[in-house]
Amino acid sequence: MSIKMPEPDQAVLARRDEIVAALRKIVPGEGVISSAAEMIPYESDGLMAYRQPPMVVVLPDTTKQVSQVLKYCHANGIRVVPRGSGTSLSGGALPLADGVLLGLGKFKRIREIDFDNRAVVVEPGVTNLAISQAVDHKGFYYAPDPSSQIACSIGGNIAENSGGVHCLKYGMTTNNVLGCEIVLITGEIIKVGGKTAETCGYDVMGIITGSEGLLGVITEVTVRILQKPETARALMVGFADVEAAGECVAQIIGAGIIPGGMEMMDKPAIHAAEAFVHAGYPLDVEALLIIELDGPGVEVDELISRVESIALSCGSTTCQISVSEKERLLFWAGRKAAFPAVGRISPDYLCMDGTIPRKQLPLVLRRMKEMSEKYGLGVANVFHAGDGNLHPLILYDANKPGEMDKAEAFGADILRLCVEVGGVLTGEHGVGIEKRDLMPEMFSEIDLNQQQRLKCAFDKDGLLNPGKVFPTLHRCAELGRVHVHGGKLAFPDIPRF
Amino acid sequence: METLKPRDAKDVEDAVRAAIAGEQPLEIVGHGSKRAIGQPMATNALLDLSALNAVSNYEPNELIITVEAGAPLADVKSLIDSKNQQFAFEPIDTSGLLGTPADAGSIGGMIAAGLAGPRRIRAGGARDHLLGAHAVSGFGDSFKAGGKVVKNVTGYDLCKLLAGSWGTLAVMTEVTLKVMPRPESERTLLLRGLDDIAANAAMTMALGSPYDVSGAAHLPGSVLRTTAGPLGEIGAPDQALTFIRLEGITASAVHRAASLAARLASFGKAEILEDAASSAAWAAIRDVAPFAASGPRALWPVWRIVCPPASGGKFGQALARESQGEVVYDWAGGLIWAALPPSADANAKILRQRVEAIGGHATLIRAPEPVRQAVDVFHPQAAGLAALGQRVRASFDPKNILNRGRMLRGAAT
Ligand SMILES: Cc1cc2nc3c(=O)[nH]c(=O)nc-3n(C[C@H](O)[C@H](O)[C@H](O)COP(=O)(O)OP(=O)(O)OC[C@H]3O[C@@H](n4cnc5c(N)ncnc54)[C@H](O)[C@@H]3O)c2cc1C
Repeated sequence: MSIKMPEPDQAVLARRDEIVAALRKIVPGEGVISSAAEMIPYESDGLMAYRQPPMVVVLPDTTKQVSQVLKYCHANGIRVVPRGSGTSLSGGALPLADGVLLGLGKFKRIREIDFDNRAVVVEPGVTNLAISQAVDHKGFYYAPDPSSQIACSIGGNIAENSGGVHCLKYGMTTNNVLGCEIVLITGEIIKVGGKTAETCGYDVMGIITGSEGLLGVITEVTVRILQKPETARALMVGFADVEAAGECVAQIIGAGIIPGGMEMMDKPAIHAAEAFVHAGYPLDVEALLIIELDGPGVEVDELISRVESIALSCGSTTCQISVSEKERLLFWAGRKAAFPAVGRISPDYLCMDGTIPRKQLPLVLRRMKEMSEKYGLGVANVFHAGDGNLHPLILYDANKPGEMDKAEAFGADILRLCVEVGGVLTGEHGVGIEKRDLMPEMFSEIDLNQQQRLKCAFDKDGLLNPGKVFPTLHRCAELGRVHVHGGKLAFPDIPRF
Repeated sequence: METLKPRDAKDVEDAVRAAIAGEQPLEIVGHGSKRAIGQPMATNALLDLSALNAVSNYEPNELIITVEAGAPLADVKSLIDSKNQQFAFEPIDTSGLLGTPADAGSIGGMIAAGLAGPRRIRAGGARDHLLGAHAVSGFGDSFKAGGKVVKNVTGYDLCKLLAGSWGTLAVMTEVTLKVMPRPESERTLLLRGLDDIAANAAMTMALGSPYDVSGAAHLPGSVLRTTAGPLGEIGAPDQALTFIRLEGITASAVHRAASLAARLASFGKAEILEDAASSAAWAAIRDVAPFAASGPRALWPVWRIVCPPASGGKFGQALARESQGEVVYDWAGGLIWAALPPSADANAKILRQRVEAIGGHATLIRAPEPVRQAVDVFHPQAAGLAALGQRVRASFDPKNILNRGRMLRGAAT
């Protein structure tokens, strides 16, 4: 394990029994878990290479309990790690040895469905899919659809600002949330937004979204729901080289078409997926695009034919158009199963998540191939092609000494490359611990200081989820100091009137 | 008052640093088109960003444009228009409402004000289209927020805070925005003669349909008595108009307009406005033409009320009746523009009590300076959230140098 977490506070550890007893007073019954065996399921999240038992697990089921737990931890200088369903791929919910793991799994109620205002009020532990299921009978759904949607919680989605294959057209989590209730580390309960399109004042809702559990604990969420499109159809298009596939994506967007989903897979990913689900993917192509158009039938039919002719003009070697819902789902089956499919051909894999300007795709894939040779590790690529979000899957075997370190170094090189070509470290999985030490690749110290100052506005003692996102922690007093630069001369050397 | 006109981000840094050293708060302006919005400020120097006006990078195929903050919105709009793209949140042009020169306004101002138009119900607001920014904080440091790609979750999403912060957190020097394809065609269903409650119900039904509505607005008949321009031409005095817009490829817009008209049959027979006529009407709705400063209600304070959409009709109808004012509905009832007869507090107290009761909030967009001095221009928040907001502000600008007091009454001293 190459990531260093904050040193455990021995004074806190020494008080463990007393802390557990105090938490039991706040959350009675089975809501406090302190035995080593029972804490095992909480030792890691979706970044499974990293494990750490927490000091204690607390599973409150009311906002009041959350507030009291946080207030107690704040008063006693105890660190807290919030956790939803534990599917984070960046280690955001990795426990701390001296920390309380605050699980929101008992917050499972859907509080209100308001079809007229197209809003649903839910508790944070409700799964992403459960929201869509709850409104399905009236033809509605909740648009952001991470592949983990059966399991991941809406609270976790907010904390990570999760995406999905439909977010090119329908937005990420942040574009689909109307309001929330958060509890600050002090125990203070804050409500933001509601059933309105906009909140008032500074966009606190927007800053909570994607804050990876560092600013507050989310205890209620209001999301907006949409009517399902009337129909959807997909094209499956193969190309003899990645450049042509990339050009096809650019031309589709350039023609003003925003597909409901536009995914790309490279040859290793195509082969792994086909061997797993037998979706009928062509095996002799270098890149495969799955492009879905949704909307009324007349629109979908028209756009399908426009996309088809763009694909042909870009030199596609195969092009299949779904003629039934069954076939559309089959096209998707391989893409949706790409991670487990890769899991079958390799004992272990690391799932990376960078975004690049799309035009850089050929260069990035070429460089990735060179890195793959250098590290002696395979890589398969699935790619949210419309928005430039890459998911390289690095294949390795954790049982071979040194291979995991090599895989991590390879992954870091890929993310550095993303930044180098004008992209970013993460498009949807978050920074967590996984990309924490790469933050300086993308942000200067000044940039990072400004972000940490914001943290100070929410949690000045740094007790919520420390060790995540930021490689170095600074004291708030130090960050808040204003330096007076230069001489006293007001406004030197700037044109004035 | 002294005006500083920085040439680049470095000059902006120097200006802010000097302001910190001299404890001189700065008023930040792009083109000054929205200076009349907000709490009157206590600043004695003007930081004019209009010389930072370059388009740094426009990549239509990547759906992004990077521009300096002082670039004229009108120019940037025509640039992206030439590639059949647009800012999907349909930023409003406040010049008619405020009586300022037409077509003025900078990109930075558009984001800092964050005033989105009718398409907000479908495409989101300014906050949803700001991908990245370079800005100078009240520490005098240039920092970067976000990125230059459409999908990014690296670090806190500081862009969300900058959008709609009215220049009180940091001076944006360059922004990267998401641009989206401009729809090929538009069709607008026009229903006549509905009262506010029925119109609200029709718009709710439309938004609850799968037809992907991109605008839903209602103008009560009393408003149309005195409205000139495209809306006046479509309307007859005292006959309310309800507009519902569908955009996309032609075949789709036509199909959805017909399907939706059938679904809304119980509200009357819909007329259909096509492309140019439709877009002229929506531009007038977006810019709240009925309350234009050149019109008969020039002296009336104008409120922008955001509320749960399905509550809009009932709320607005009662407000108009009891205050003898006028209202215009957008966002299917979720946005109400209210022009109220002049009074010392612009009816703030009673209005806000009622808005809060339905879970909404209200901003005073137009009022004479003494009125804005006397009332909270931005909706007062619950104590905890307000305190958090001030801590957030201080985390960017601890000395309160930037647009001091613009968003918070009593903070100007
Ligand atoms: C197979 C698989 C596929 C995936 N596919 C996608 C995908 O397509 N798109 C995508 O974006 N992600 C994807 N993910 C990643 C992951 O599912 C998302 O990040 C998800 O949002 C995490 O939700 P969770 O409830 O599991 O959160 P957790 O893993 O429990 O926590 C994630 C972070 O959120 C914080 N947190 C959780 N709940 C709260 C709360 N109530 N209040 C405050 N902070 C909280 C935690 O502290 C942590 O930092 C995938 C993961 C897996 C395993």
